[in-house]
Amino acid sequence: MTHEAPAIFVALEQSGFATAIRQSPWLYPAANVGHIVSLVFFVGAVAVMDVRLLGGLAMTAPGPLLSRARGFAVAALVGMAVTGFVLFSAEASHLAVNPVFQLKAALVGAGLVNVALYEFMARREVAKLPPGAIMPARARIAGLLSLVIWVAVAACGRSIAYF
Amino acid sequence: MTRFVAFSAALVLVAGAAFAHHGWGSYDAAHPVTVVGPIVTSKFENPHATITVKGADKTWTVTLAPTSRMSSRGATEKVIAVGQNVSAYGYPSTVEKDEMRAERITVDGKTFELR
Repeated sequence: MTHEAPAIFVALEQSGFATAIRQSPWLYPAANVGHIVSLVFFVGAVAVMDVRLLGGLAMTAPGPLLSRARGFAVAALVGMAVTGFVLFSAEASHLAVNPVFQLKAALVGAGLVNVALYEFMARREVAKLPPGAIMPARARIAGLLSLVIWVAVAACGRSIAYF
Repeated sequence: MTRFVAFSAALVLVAGAAFAHHGWGSYDAAHPVTVVGPIVTSKFENPHATITVKGADKTWTVTLAPTSRMSSRGATEKVIAVGQNVSAYGYPSTVEKDEMRAERITVDGKTFELR
């Protein structure tokens, strides 16, 4: 790398935990696959939620559909966080200064802020809507932002190795 | 549920075998180099094994393949041990100084393809 990573990432990479990940023949590949499998479930669940917020799947009441999909999304997000930490630890000092990784981390932050804003500003109102009702504009905006941000996160994730 | 778990496990195994970590995008394939010399340090680790080689001009960091591929091609930890003489053909990194990614290495007259 052209510049040094902050000490905390160097320490993480040199930790016994990260060394064990690198020295295991299967841990890193398993985390790699687990990360993608979690991503598939996450984007699937999130796409159902986003499409509903954008006015699709309108024959169903939004409340129960969104709450069911949310369960899958949260579980998959936890799976991505755990496997992602394993992958990150093995190469922390390189990834921390990788511009695409930094962009991905910022986008994950933006995605989570979008979730928080929706939860506080629109969720309760949306949950009460009957099938076929027009979605409030802020719910549609949250759905569109979510779709764009999470797909961009996935694209960044796949691109890290090329920069 | 059992069937789902079995299917997922099978998927993980198949996908795991097909998974490769790095692209070759940040390496300059237009200017291949061959580094010949003794192995100074050797790490048989994921996501890639790496060795440093004392070449004629400077010491190169040579990025090899994931450990499972290294083993399946016969390039085991012993083959790339410190002190072995190696010839590594590959491409210099466009990002990291003095690093190259090996397309193939030759040790003791045996060539191991790493792509």
